[in-house]
Amino acid sequence: MMRKTKDDAELDDFGRFSEPALLILVSLAEGPRHGYSMTEDIETLAGVRLGPGTLYGALARLEARGLIEPLKSEDRRNPYRLTALGERALRTRLDSMMAVARTGQRRLAHA
Amino acid sequence: MNWLLPLYPARWRVRYGEEFGAVLASQHASVGLVLDVLAGAVDAHLYPQIQNSQSKPIKGDDTMTLEMLQRCAVGGPKLSPQDRRIASLFMLVSALVMATLYIVLTKIYRAAPAVQALFYATFPALTLIYGQTAYLRKRPWLTQVFILGAGLLGMYLFMLAACVVGNKL
Repeated sequence: MMRKTKDDAELDDFGRFSEPALLILVSLAEGPRHGYSMTEDIETLAGVRLGPGTLYGALARLEARGLIEPLKSEDRRNPYRLTALGERALRTRLDSMMAVARTGQRRLAHA
Repeated sequence: MNWLLPLYPARWRVRYGEEFGAVLASQHASVGLVLDVLAGAVDAHLYPQIQNSQSKPIKGDDTMTLEMLQRCAVGGPKLSPQDRRIASLFMLVSALVMATLYIVLTKIYRAAPAVQALFYATFPALTLIYGQTAYLRKRPWLTQVFILGAGLLGMYLFMLAACVVGNKL
Protein backbone atom coordinates (compact mmCIF):
# COMPACT_ATOMS: atom_id res chain seq x y z
CA MET A 1 0.00 0.00 0.00
CA MET A 2 1.40 3.39 -0.94
CA ARG A 3 1.91 5.84 1.89
CA LYS A 4 0.01 9.10 1.62
CA THR A 5 1.69 12.39 2.37
CA LYS A 6 -0.05 15.45 3.87
CA ASP A 7 -0.22 17.17 0.46
CA ASP A 8 -1.66 14.06 -1.12
CA ALA A 9 -4.36 13.97 1.54
CA GLU A 10 -5.54 17.45 0.48
CA LEU A 11 -7.43 15.84 -2.40
CA ASP A 12 -9.03 13.16 -0.24
CA ASP A 13 -12.56 13.42 1.06
CA PHE A 14 -13.90 14.78 -2.24
CA GLY A 15 -16.18 11.78 -2.77
CA ARG A 16 -17.62 11.71 -6.30
CA PHE A 17 -15.84 15.03 -6.95
CA SER A 18 -12.31 13.53 -6.64
CA GLU A 19 -11.80 12.99 -10.35
CA PRO A 20 -13.35 16.31 -11.48
CA ALA A 21 -11.26 18.13 -8.84
CA LEU A 22 -8.08 16.53 -10.13
CA LEU A 23 -8.99 17.41 -13.73
CA ILE A 24 -9.66 21.02 -12.70
CA LEU A 25 -6.27 21.26 -10.99
CA VAL A 26 -4.58 19.86 -14.10
CA SER A 27 -6.47 22.37 -16.25
CA LEU A 28 -5.44 25.27 -13.99
CA ALA A 29 -1.81 24.13 -13.96
CA GLU A 30 -1.45 25.85 -17.33
CA GLY A 31 -2.73 29.19 -16.01
CA PRO A 32 -5.91 30.89 -14.75
CA ARG A 33 -9.16 29.85 -16.42
CA HIS A 34 -12.86 30.48 -15.95
CA GLY A 35 -15.54 27.77 -15.71
CA TYR A 36 -16.40 27.50 -19.39
CA SER A 37 -12.73 27.45 -20.43
CA MET A 38 -12.04 24.68 -17.88
CA THR A 39 -14.92 22.60 -19.26
CA GLU A 40 -13.54 22.89 -22.79
CA ASP A 41 -9.96 22.17 -21.71
CA ILE A 42 -10.96 19.14 -19.64
CA GLU A 43 -12.96 17.76 -22.55
CA THR A 44 -9.89 18.07 -24.77
CA LEU A 45 -7.44 16.56 -22.31
CA ALA A 46 -9.56 13.80 -20.76
CA GLY A 47 -12.47 13.32 -23.17
CA VAL A 48 -15.11 14.03 -20.52
CA ARG A 49 -17.40 17.04 -20.43
CA LEU A 50 -18.12 18.12 -16.86
CA GLY A 51 -21.65 19.34 -16.28
CA PRO A 52 -21.98 22.69 -14.46
CA GLY A 53 -23.31 20.96 -11.31
CA THR A 54 -20.25 18.71 -11.12
CA LEU A 55 -17.84 21.49 -12.12
CA TYR A 56 -19.02 23.92 -9.45
CA GLY A 57 -19.35 21.19 -6.80
CA ALA A 58 -15.66 20.45 -7.31
CA LEU A 59 -14.68 24.14 -7.63
CA ALA A 60 -16.41 25.01 -4.34
CA ARG A 61 -14.56 22.20 -2.55
CA LEU A 62 -11.21 23.16 -4.03
CA GLU A 63 -11.75 26.80 -3.09
CA ALA A 64 -12.93 25.95 0.44
CA ARG A 65 -9.72 23.94 0.99
CA GLY A 66 -7.54 26.73 -0.38
CA LEU A 67 -6.29 24.71 -3.37
CA ILE A 68 -7.54 27.28 -5.88
CA GLU A 69 -8.51 30.94 -5.59
CA PRO A 70 -10.74 33.25 -7.62
CA LEU A 71 -9.34 36.27 -9.43
CA LYS A 72 -11.15 39.55 -9.76
CA SER A 73 -13.06 39.89 -12.97
CA GLU A 74 -15.26 42.52 -14.52
CA ASP A 75 -17.52 40.12 -16.43
CA ARG A 76 -19.68 37.19 -15.29
CA ARG A 77 -16.98 34.62 -15.97
CA ASN A 78 -14.80 34.49 -12.88
CA PRO A 79 -11.32 33.06 -13.48
CA TYR A 80 -9.55 30.81 -10.96
CA ARG A 81 -5.92 29.99 -10.39
CA LEU A 82 -3.95 27.38 -8.49
CA THR A 83 -2.63 28.37 -5.06
CA ALA A 84 0.79 27.19 -3.84
CA LEU A 85 -1.01 24.56 -1.75
CA GLY A 86 -3.00 23.43 -4.78
CA GLU A 87 0.15 23.15 -6.86
CA ARG A 88 1.84 21.00 -4.20
CA ALA A 89 -1.25 18.80 -3.82
CA LEU A 90 -1.46 18.30 -7.59
CA ARG A 91 2.26 17.51 -7.88
CA THR A 92 2.05 14.95 -5.08
CA ARG A 93 -1.07 13.32 -6.49
CA LEU A 94 0.39 13.08 -10.00
CA ASP A 95 3.63 11.62 -8.60
CA SER A 96 1.73 8.93 -6.72
CA MET A 97 -0.41 8.17 -9.81
CA MET A 98 2.74 7.85 -11.92
CA ALA A 99 4.28 5.49 -9.35
CA VAL A 100 1.16 3.31 -9.52
CA ALA A 101 1.19 3.42 -13.33
CA ARG A 102 4.88 2.47 -13.48
CA THR A 103 4.36 -0.46 -11.09
CA GLY A 104 1.34 -1.60 -13.10
CA GLN A 105 3.27 -1.43 -16.39
CA ARG A 106 6.19 -3.34 -14.89
CA ARG A 107 3.96 -6.08 -13.54
CA LEU A 108 2.11 -6.37 -16.85
CA ALA A 109 5.43 -6.71 -18.67
CA HIS A 110 6.29 -9.71 -16.50
CA ALA A 111 2.83 -11.28 -16.69
CA MET B 1 -31.83 26.50 -18.29
CA ASN B 2 -31.25 29.25 -15.74
CA TRP B 3 -34.63 28.39 -14.19
CA LEU B 4 -32.78 25.63 -12.32
CA LEU B 5 -30.57 28.12 -10.49
CA PRO B 6 -33.09 28.91 -7.69
CA LEU B 7 -32.73 25.29 -6.57
CA TYR B 8 -29.31 26.17 -5.14
CA PRO B 9 -28.96 27.72 -1.66
CA ALA B 10 -29.06 31.55 -1.55
CA ARG B 11 -25.49 31.90 -0.25
CA TRP B 12 -24.23 29.59 -2.98
CA ARG B 13 -26.00 31.69 -5.64
CA VAL B 14 -24.50 34.90 -4.28
CA ARG B 15 -21.05 33.38 -4.60
CA TYR B 16 -21.29 31.28 -7.79
CA GLY B 17 -24.66 32.15 -9.35
CA GLU B 18 -23.45 34.52 -12.05
CA GLU B 19 -20.58 32.42 -13.36
CA PHE B 20 -22.59 29.20 -12.99
CA GLY B 21 -25.35 30.82 -15.08
CA ALA B 22 -22.79 31.74 -17.74
CA VAL B 23 -21.51 28.13 -17.94
CA LEU B 24 -25.05 26.75 -17.89
CA ALA B 25 -26.09 29.06 -20.73
CA SER B 26 -23.24 27.73 -22.87
CA GLN B 27 -24.44 24.09 -22.65
CA HIS B 28 -27.03 22.34 -24.80
CA ALA B 29 -30.17 21.43 -22.87
CA SER B 30 -30.42 17.70 -22.19
CA VAL B 31 -31.76 15.30 -19.57
CA GLY B 32 -28.18 14.60 -18.47
CA LEU B 33 -27.55 18.31 -17.92
CA VAL B 34 -30.74 18.72 -15.87
CA LEU B 35 -29.79 15.71 -13.72
CA ASP B 36 -26.27 17.06 -13.24
CA VAL B 37 -27.59 20.45 -12.10
CA LEU B 38 -30.16 18.80 -9.80
CA ALA B 39 -27.46 16.60 -8.23
CA GLY B 40 -25.29 19.70 -7.82
CA ALA B 41 -28.15 21.53 -6.05
CA VAL B 42 -28.71 18.62 -3.65
CA ASP B 43 -24.97 18.51 -2.95
CA ALA B 44 -24.84 22.29 -2.35
CA HIS B 45 -27.63 21.95 0.25
CA LEU B 46 -26.17 18.86 1.93
CA TYR B 47 -22.51 19.91 1.91
CA PRO B 48 -22.34 23.71 1.81
CA GLN B 49 -18.76 24.77 1.20
CA ILE B 50 -19.31 28.53 1.23
CA GLN B 51 -18.69 29.27 4.92
CA ASN B 52 -15.28 27.60 4.68
CA SER B 53 -14.36 29.58 1.63
CA GLN B 54 -11.28 31.68 2.25
CA SER B 55 -11.48 34.35 -0.39
CA LYS B 56 -14.25 35.91 -2.38
CA PRO B 57 -13.79 38.65 -4.88
CA ILE B 58 -16.24 41.42 -4.09
CA LYS B 59 -16.84 43.86 -6.86
CA GLY B 60 -18.19 47.31 -6.05
CA ASP B 61 -21.67 46.52 -7.38
CA ASP B 62 -21.84 43.29 -5.36
CA THR B 63 -21.54 44.98 -1.99
CA MET B 64 -25.10 46.28 -1.65
CA THR B 65 -26.70 42.98 -2.70
CA LEU B 66 -24.44 41.11 -0.31
CA GLU B 67 -25.26 43.40 2.59
CA MET B 68 -29.01 43.14 1.91
CA LEU B 69 -28.79 39.35 1.81
CA GLN B 70 -26.83 39.29 5.06
CA ARG B 71 -29.42 41.54 6.74
CA CYS B 72 -32.24 39.28 5.54
CA ALA B 73 -30.38 36.22 6.82
CA VAL B 74 -30.14 37.57 10.39
CA GLY B 75 -33.58 36.25 11.36
CA GLY B 76 -33.15 33.02 9.43
CA PRO B 77 -32.43 29.62 10.92
CA LYS B 78 -28.82 28.96 11.86
CA LEU B 79 -28.70 25.30 12.69
CA SER B 80 -25.47 23.97 14.08
CA PRO B 81 -24.47 20.35 13.38
CA GLN B 82 -25.36 19.60 17.02
CA ASP B 83 -28.88 21.04 16.53
CA ARG B 84 -29.34 18.80 13.51
CA ARG B 85 -28.02 15.71 15.30
CA ILE B 86 -30.32 16.23 18.31
CA ALA B 87 -33.32 16.90 16.05
CA SER B 88 -32.56 13.76 14.00
CA LEU B 89 -32.22 11.65 17.13
CA PHE B 90 -35.47 13.05 18.50
CA MET B 91 -37.22 12.31 15.22
CA LEU B 92 -35.89 8.74 15.15
CA VAL B 93 -37.03 8.03 18.70
CA SER B 94 -40.44 9.59 17.93
CA ALA B 95 -40.76 7.40 14.82
CA LEU B 96 -40.10 4.27 16.89
CA VAL B 97 -42.59 5.34 19.57
CA MET B 98 -45.28 6.15 17.01
CA ALA B 99 -44.74 2.91 15.09
CA THR B 100 -45.01 0.89 18.33
CA LEU B 101 -48.11 2.82 19.37
CA TYR B 102 -49.70 2.20 15.97
CA ILE B 103 -49.00 -1.56 16.11
CA VAL B 104 -50.39 -1.85 19.64
CA LEU B 105 -53.52 0.21 18.88
CA THR B 106 -54.18 -1.71 15.64
CA LYS B 107 -54.02 -4.96 17.60
CA ILE B 108 -56.61 -3.66 20.07
CA TYR B 109 -58.92 -1.42 18.04
CA ARG B 110 -58.35 -2.73 14.47
CA ALA B 111 -59.09 -0.08 11.82
CA ALA B 112 -60.84 2.47 14.04
CA PRO B 113 -60.70 6.06 12.65
CA ALA B 114 -58.57 7.13 15.63
CA VAL B 115 -55.95 4.51 14.69
CA GLN B 116 -56.13 5.35 10.99
CA ALA B 117 -55.63 9.03 11.83
CA LEU B 118 -52.50 8.13 13.80
CA PHE B 119 -51.13 6.30 10.76
CA TYR B 120 -51.77 9.21 8.38
CA ALA B 121 -50.49 11.82 10.84
CA THR B 122 -47.18 10.02 11.46
CA PHE B 123 -45.18 11.33 8.51
CA PRO B 124 -46.18 15.02 8.80
CA ALA B 125 -45.82 14.74 12.58
CA LEU B 126 -42.21 13.52 12.25
CA THR B 127 -41.40 16.42 9.93
CA LEU B 128 -42.93 18.80 12.47
CA ILE B 129 -41.00 17.16 15.31
CA TYR B 130 -37.71 17.53 13.44
CA GLY B 131 -38.33 21.17 12.51
CA GLN B 132 -39.57 22.28 15.91
CA THR B 133 -36.87 20.43 17.83
CA ALA B 134 -34.17 21.99 15.67
CA TYR B 135 -35.45 25.56 15.52
CA LEU B 136 -36.84 25.88 19.05
CA ARG B 137 -34.02 24.12 20.88
CA LYS B 138 -32.74 27.27 22.55
CA ARG B 139 -36.23 28.40 23.68
CA PRO B 140 -37.65 27.54 27.17
CA TRP B 141 -38.77 23.88 27.31
CA LEU B 142 -42.34 24.93 28.15
CA THR B 143 -42.52 26.94 24.92
CA GLN B 144 -41.16 23.96 23.00
CA VAL B 145 -43.68 21.55 24.55
CA PHE B 146 -46.57 23.97 23.96
CA ILE B 147 -45.74 24.72 20.32
CA LEU B 148 -44.88 21.12 19.46
CA GLY B 149 -47.87 19.72 21.41
CA ALA B 150 -50.31 22.16 19.83
CA GLY B 151 -48.95 21.42 16.37
CA LEU B 152 -49.15 17.64 16.83
CA LEU B 153 -52.61 17.79 18.38
CA GLY B 154 -53.89 20.03 15.57
CA MET B 155 -52.45 17.70 12.96
CA TYR B 156 -53.93 14.60 14.61
CA LEU B 157 -57.38 16.18 14.96
CA PHE B 158 -57.30 17.22 11.32
CA MET B 159 -56.42 13.66 10.22
CA LEU B 160 -59.04 12.23 12.57
CA ALA B 161 -61.71 14.47 11.06
CA ALA B 162 -60.60 13.40 7.57
CA CYS B 163 -60.79 9.70 8.53
CA VAL B 164 -64.24 10.04 10.12
CA VAL B 165 -65.61 11.90 7.12
CA GLY B 166 -63.88 9.49 4.71
CA ASN B 167 -65.39 6.43 6.45
CA LYS B 168 -68.88 7.89 6.25
CA LEU B 169 -68.75 8.59 2.52
